[in-house]
Order: sequence, then structure tokens, then C-alpha cells
Amino acid sequence: MVPLSWYLVLAFMLIGLGGYGMMVKRNLIRILIGAEIMGNGVMIAIVAIALFNPAFSFTGQGLIILVISVAAAHTALAMVLMLMYNRRYGSVDLGTSVEMEGQ
Amino acid sequence: MQGFDPALFEQIEFLLLAGIVLVLAYLALEHKEIVYAAFFFGFMASFVAGFFLLLEAPFIAGMQIAVYTGGISTLIIFAVLLLPRAQDSTLEKFATPRARQISLVIAVVVTVMTGFLAVLFPWAESFNEAFVSISQDLNGLAQWLWFENGIYVQMIALIMITSLVGAISLLRMDKAEQLGAITGEFGVEAKPVLIDDLQSAEDGQSVPEPKEVDE
Amino acid sequence: MMQTSRLFLDFIPVIIWALLAMALVIIMLLASWVLRPHVLQNSEKTSTYECGEEPVGPARISYPYNYFVYTVLFVVIDVMGAFLWLLSSSTLLWANATKYEVVWQVVVFILIVMGGVGFVMKMIPRSFLDGKETLDVYRRAKAEREKEQYPTGGH
Repeated sequence: MVPLSWYLVLAFMLIGLGGYGMMVKRNLIRILIGAEIMGNGVMIAIVAIALFNPAFSFTGQGLIILVISVAAAHTALAMVLMLMYNRRYGSVDLGTSVEMEGQ
Repeated sequence: MQGFDPALFEQIEFLLLAGIVLVLAYLALEHKEIVYAAFFFGFMASFVAGFFLLLEAPFIAGMQIAVYTGGISTLIIFAVLLLPRAQDSTLEKFATPRARQISLVIAVVVTVMTGFLAVLFPWAESFNEAFVSISQDLNGLAQWLWFENGIYVQMIALIMITSLVGAISLLRMDKAEQLGAITGEFGVEAKPVLIDDLQSAEDGQSVPEPKEVDE
Repeated sequence: MMQTSRLFLDFIPVIIWALLAMALVIIMLLASWVLRPHVLQNSEKTSTYECGEEPVGPARISYPYNYFVYTVLFVVIDVMGAFLWLLSSSTLLWANATKYEVVWQVVVFILIVMGGVGFVMKMIPRSFLDGKETLDVYRRAKAEREKEQYPTGGH
């Protein structure tokens, strides 16, 4: 049996990697990919805790089902918002919008 | 089978999957071409399903593959296809090295501190292997979701159709502009580049160098 | 620890299959690299069609936006299918204790989701869904381009 701390360390590494991507990247699509990587890390952590605590088992797995559904919904909306952003500012890079707003 | 140790095999499998997932997540963030980045994100999402199989959650693994690999990475790849300027890696803006280093330091510090939380803190002892009871009980999960907490399902349905109607009405709002967008710079009316006179085409289509973003 | 059959032990054939697939791809790529003739590469050799069609324009053009509607609709139906998949893999709709309460929730759930999808299909105009206007714009642009196709001397 793999101990819980291995899963938690992996989950925190994924969360750190996604957070690094969200802080560094300028492209909105890459920022969204970073957010999804963070979400995957959180899901691994919650399912691991649900396995190691029997009272939490169904609650954890059901929570993950709800999380995946909401992730699908918000990704669809975020993608359409990105298309609108591209229509308005001609690019999905974050820097350009700030420049054009200043003018 | 002689000499076959399931515990050792599980650890090997965990390390293999963890390496693959971390490498794919790094590639999904850092690959130069954004189309490949989107594809690497899809691969990463399907390898995360392997962890759910290790964690005795077969339905979560299936749903991860159905929704993340099938739905969300499709959305990302399709949106990349719709944004031709985003596909051009020479137009992409990157942060300055200083911003990269500061972000890397912040991310590493947060990861190490939370990793210490996971390993050292006393509540880690309360999650013991002795408590683990393995049951792949889909019936109990369905009972939890549909029978005991059925209102959550209806709320998810409302959230789904809210985002659906919002997304589609946003798409519909500027239809006239959208018909203009496909005849734009990268659209069907884009200047045809013949192979013979590449030089003049490059002169005509030269794009300004992306400026450095100050922090 | 109560040791029942672990799930990952059932998936060992999948791992063996995946390793075999990866090895097969690597072996095929290496074999084709070894077997193929290494000749001089120039721009004519590496172009998309070596003879025949003349490549015109960039390969990465903007696809029409209205096909994105179908992707968003697919994601909604996908999540609905996942919820119903969980239901169908249990015995909730067969057991007497639960079936009379769960079936109404299933009906309401499907009605909400399919009602949203139907509302969206009614809300957007027909030409947006089948892409007729977009096709018209494409055809007009293509006809205009073909009139001035080879002024700079193609073939």
C-alpha cells in the first residue's frame, strides 16, 4: 500500500506546477491549462484522503464527481469568454489588453 | 506467481505514473507550440486516471477520462484552432526572466511548505493504513449521490445549463463581427503566399517584434 | 488492512499492452529511419505536395466560430451521460427501497438538461447551426481570389 504522504506530495507538486504556470504565463489558454493542472492535483489529494478515511469514502468520491462536472461547465464558459476577448483585443495575451486600454 | 510482490509493484507503478504525469504537466505548460501543449494536457488528464485506479475509485477514473480527456481537452484544442494568432508561437509574449525566477521561488516555497504539512504534521498519523477498507462499491456511491444527496445532481444540471446558455448567447451576440472575423488577417482572404516569391511575402507580412512585458 | 482484490492488479494487462504499444511505435520509427534512403533535403522535397498542388496561404486559418456551439453542447451531454452511467452501474432503479424516489430525480435531471439544450437550439438561428452564412462568405471569398489567382506567375 502506498502511504498517504506520497499522494499528498504528488498533489502538492502538481498544485505548485500549475500555480507557477498561472503566475508566469501571459497566454490565457496556458493560464487555463495551469488552473486545470491545479484542479487535477486537488482531485488526487481529495480521493487519496477519501481512501484512507473510511467515513469519508463516498463523500470524497461524490465530491470529485461534482468537481469534475463544474470544471467542465466553467471551462466551456471560459473558452467562450476567451473567444470574446480575442475578438475585442485581437489576441489572447494578457499584456496587449492593458496596453490598449491605456490608449 | 513466485516472487511477485503486489506492494512493491504498486510502488513502482506509482512512481512511474507520477513521473509521467509531472513530465506531461511540465510539457503542457512550457511547450512552445500551444497546440502540442493542449494535447499534452489531454494526455496528462488521462494518466491522472491511473492514480484513481490505484486509489480504488474506478468510477472517478472513468469519469476523468470521459469528461477531462473527452470534453475539456477537446474544448481547449478547439478553442486553439479558433484562435490562429494563438497558434503562432512567434507572436506569443513571455514573461521576463526575473518574473520567472520570482514565480519559481514562490511556487517551490509553497510546494515545500505544504509537502512538510503532508509528511510531518500530527494529523498525518490519523490517516493510517490500518483504517483502509478496500471496496469498489459503485452501488454505495450511486446511493450517496442520487438517493441521499439528490439535490446536488439537480444543482449540477442547473449549473451546466446556466453556463451553456451563457456561453451560447455570448457566441450569438456578435454574429456580424464573427462573419467579418473569418475574412480577417488569417482568414480566407489572407494574402496568398506563393512559394516562389517568399521574399516579397515576408516583406508584406512582417509582424512587429513582441515587446518585453515589464514587471 | 482488509485485503480484497486490488483494482490495479486487474489492470496489469493494460500496462503490458501500453508498454508493448510504446515499444512498437519506437521500433517502427527507428526501423523506418534505418531503412529509408538518406538523400539531400531541399524546400521542394519538404513541401506538402512534392508535385501537383501548389500550397497557397497559411495552413493555420481561423475556423468558423459556429462549430464551437457543438463542442459546448457535447460537453453538457457528456456530463449528463456520466451521471446516468453511475446510475446504470448501480441497482438503485431496481431495488424497491429506492426506485420510487430516484426515478423522479432522474426524470427531472434529464428534463432540465435536455430542456436547456433544446432552448439553446431554439435560441440560436438555424443558419448559425448549419453554417450556411459562413459557407457563403467562404465561397464568395474563394471566387474573388480565384479571379486574381495567378497574376504573379505560378504555372
